[in-house]
Amino acid sequence: MAMWLQILYRSIALFILVIVVARISGKRNITRVPTYKFICYHAVAIIAALISVNVIKEVVFGLIALGVWILFPIILDYLSLKSKWFHDLVNGKETVLIKHGKIMEESLLQTRLTGEELLRELRYKNAFNLADVEFAVMETTGEINVYLKSDKKPVTAHDLGIKAAPQTEPQTVILDGNVLNEPLASLGLNKEWLRIQLENMGVSLDNVFLGQVDSSGDLYLDLFDDAIELPQPKVKEMVYANMEKAQASLFTYAIETNDENAKAMYEKNAQKLKQLMEKLKPYLLR
Amino acid sequence: MTVASQVKQTLAGLKGVQGTLRIYSTQTQDEETLSVYKEALETTEGIINDLEKRLQGLEFQEPQYKGN
Repeated sequence: MAMWLQILYRSIALFILVIVVARISGKRNITRVPTYKFICYHAVAIIAALISVNVIKEVVFGLIALGVWILFPIILDYLSLKSKWFHDLVNGKETVLIKHGKIMEESLLQTRLTGEELLRELRYKNAFNLADVEFAVMETTGEINVYLKSDKKPVTAHDLGIKAAPQTEPQTVILDGNVLNEPLASLGLNKEWLRIQLENMGVSLDNVFLGQVDSSGDLYLDLFDDAIELPQPKVKEMVYANMEKAQASLFTYAIETNDENAKAMYEKNAQKLKQLMEKLKPYLLR
Repeated sequence: MTVASQVKQTLAGLKGVQGTLRIYSTQTQDEETLSVYKEALETTEGIINDLEKRLQGLEFQEPQYKGN
């Protein structure tokens, strides 16, 4: 067999093999793996390349080496899943670098991290001021994670005592002018619903590049033709405004009427409506 | 505008609100949201009933404006 043909066949076969291996060895990000895995990936790549260009003459020998470097990480993964002890043995444990706002110098020494490097890593995490850091830990992948002091943490709705309506992820239902049936069905909607919505907005399906439905069932569209200004969903704000209007009217009637019973009724209902608006506010306005 | 027609207008507005809330209550996937919407529907229903009763009273008192 001609040399070039041999190399061609080997390369194609190895290419497919490597893709299969990459698929079964998991989805984890290659930059965030323990060091031993990093080495395994490289060993696999190098051996595959060497077989491919015929540096390793005997394919079988090459495949044996490749098999070890591929199988061992998978076996180790499996054993790590089963046993915590084994997991710690293989992956090591995370190292605490800053505790109660104080740098642990012996941890730095142990992880061979200089002060500058630590500061750089903290800056990556937006902690420019060491005084803001309560706790920092180096993960087994070498990444550093930072826990800020409680008064330096970003404010959440919970901190402000604001009730936030629960929201689930939006579903993409139109992509490139095509209706995606699966996400639509997962929301309990169908093509007919979508057709009516598009009709109401006065848009044809083939003009839509992207359509998303949020958790409350409102449709947001992005069109190919950017010259068209679409009315974005404002229905909830409208409902809230209408409730405000009705509430104000009820108060006016309560003042204007001379009938005592009617007055009490208007006032009671105005109050009820007000309470309801408070409750609905996080859901209708945000 | 007579009182009766003003009340009628408010009533119509509230019914619109109720309709929209009902649509949202059928569209939502979340249990908590659904319960809030359900409660809102009940409250608006109560207010609408009260207003309708009042409207009947008004039309009884001032039959000449009935239907306006």
